[in-house]
Amino acid sequence: MIPEGMRDVLPPETGQLRAIEAALCRRFEAYGYGEVRTPWLEYAETLEAVEDDTLEAGYRLRDQQGHELMARTDMTVPVARLAAARFRDKPLPLRFFYVSPSIRPWAPQRSQDGEFMQAGAELLGLHSAAADAESVILLCDCLAALGLRDFRVALGTVAFYTALVDSLGLDDDREKFLEALADRDYPLLESIAGNAGVDQNALKVLWRTLQLSGTRDGLSQVRKMASSDAMDNAIRRLVEVGDLVGDAGFADAVTLDFGLYQDLTYYSGVIFEAYASGVGLPIASGGRYDGLLERFEWDIPGVGFAIAVNRLHEALEEAGAAPSAAPACIAFAGGLNEPARAMELRRAGWAVAALPDDAPAPPRPRLQRSGGSYILELADGSEVSGSWRDVLRALGIA
Amino acid sequence: MKLGLAGDGGPPAPVLDLLERAGLPVAALRTLAGPALVDAGEVTWLLAPGADVLEACARGALDAGVAGKDLLLELAPQVHELLDLRVCPDVLVYATPEPGAAALRRVRPRVATRYPRVTRRHFAASGRQVELVAFDAALLAPGLGIADGVVELRSRLALDDAFAGPGRPTGLREREEIAVCSARLVAGRAARALGGARLAELLERLQASVEEG
Repeated sequence: MIPEGMRDVLPPETGQLRAIEAALCRRFEAYGYGEVRTPWLEYAETLEAVEDDTLEAGYRLRDQQGHELMARTDMTVPVARLAAARFRDKPLPLRFFYVSPSIRPWAPQRSQDGEFMQAGAELLGLHSAAADAESVILLCDCLAALGLRDFRVALGTVAFYTALVDSLGLDDDREKFLEALADRDYPLLESIAGNAGVDQNALKVLWRTLQLSGTRDGLSQVRKMASSDAMDNAIRRLVEVGDLVGDAGFADAVTLDFGLYQDLTYYSGVIFEAYASGVGLPIASGGRYDGLLERFEWDIPGVGFAIAVNRLHEALEEAGAAPSAAPACIAFAGGLNEPARAMELRRAGWAVAALPDDAPAPPRPRLQRSGGSYILELADGSEVSGSWRDVLRALGIA
Repeated sequence: MKLGLAGDGGPPAPVLDLLERAGLPVAALRTLAGPALVDAGEVTWLLAPGADVLEACARGALDAGVAGKDLLLELAPQVHELLDLRVCPDVLVYATPEPGAAALRRVRPRVATRYPRVTRRHFAASGRQVELVAFDAALLAPGLGIADGVVELRSRLALDDAFAGPGRPTGLREREEIAVCSARLVAGRAARALGGARLAELLERLQASVEEG
């Protein structure tokens, strides 16, 4: 038995996941990102520097001195903590990536495993739309490099809503209102807005915006709704990022989506999510989090994303593009007693699992000694029997 | 296109009427109770309980679905609410037995409901404590002595009774309105990102038929 929501991962899936992770690492490195690893336990107060609902449910324990520790629930906050603690005197920008599991209590209604592997990249120290764009481009490049063809990255912005909500003049009810907004709870929004004396039309505008996605038409409608400089700027920024991503060759992959929302409270600007057919939930998500490092007393901006490796794996399988796991392993009956010969095959690049002489017939491909000669049966059904030299020739070695 | 329709014992007629006005092939659905998958050419329909429709949307199996706002509030599924279809209007209410109303006297009344999340949030919002009693046939709970009040849809506050005929009132009296509900069009996050144009067209057709109706 293992705890609810956790799972064991078995071959060949492990091999496929490792291949995916390795390919992602190569992309991250190609953009100059350096890998970081952080402990899976942090001081609870470190993670609590960010107000996030998911933290309330996080796993907590105490160390011997009685400090409260917490299992990390994502990697962005630990990376921000690490950057603020160790890179303060380094020139900006900083680029970090990670491939690490995080742990959250299992929530079946969110289709979220208790432990999940994330591969992510964080770009710290740049305010520009170009930095937002790099993050989105890197994500697209990662997905394309793995052979995922018809993925879609939805591009939205938190800044637009913040400005819109600010323009409503809610004061004390602002937090409650944003919460209801994230829940898409219209009646509650109406009642909060009603109590605060908000214009019903402004509320309708907000609701309409939430429904717009994807189309040019949507963009022009949102432009019309913008009633303040902050809202204008948010839209202009989003379009600029979209254009830059298009310049990099991913125009078809990106859609502007003003209805996009994120549960995480630290996002401050552009946000984005990647989807692929066959997987209902985002295979990656990210965004700009300009206020996050300030919580660790270093006021620099940041933007980044995390790929949910398991969901990406699902999407690749759905698209028939899952990387092949380790090459088929030849089961060598009697190989345990002939280590030199088993070695000879391995040196030539074959995987060989050595078995005792009397091992029951393993699945193909298999190699058996019979008297002084060998029988080699390959996965495709072909069969060779003869001397060791014949075996080598059949495997293309001699 | 794959669309889901919520409803225990088949999708409600007002929803089907609306979809029909929008030109969607619903003829075969009128006599079906579900759960079922119905291939109607242009559209494949999923008829299932609301929670299932929402789950199927959230997991990317459907282009869109129709479900009650009460369930959206309760389950907070990972879907986008696209359109208020303005049919099957209802109100989630807090009701207590008349005339006893022990609920009014108790510091921490027991509230029976199929909507624990909505109930908890509603009472917490006004700083009141209640003891939740998860009970699908909530309106029977006060009579059984296990609850002092119920949170339920207004339309369900009347009780089917084999002896007195349907619609016999349970003696529950509404105290508070919690949320106004109706049938809503929803789409999963992936369907919304991947199905842009198709979904936009459906939305437009339904919007038109909502405004007609």
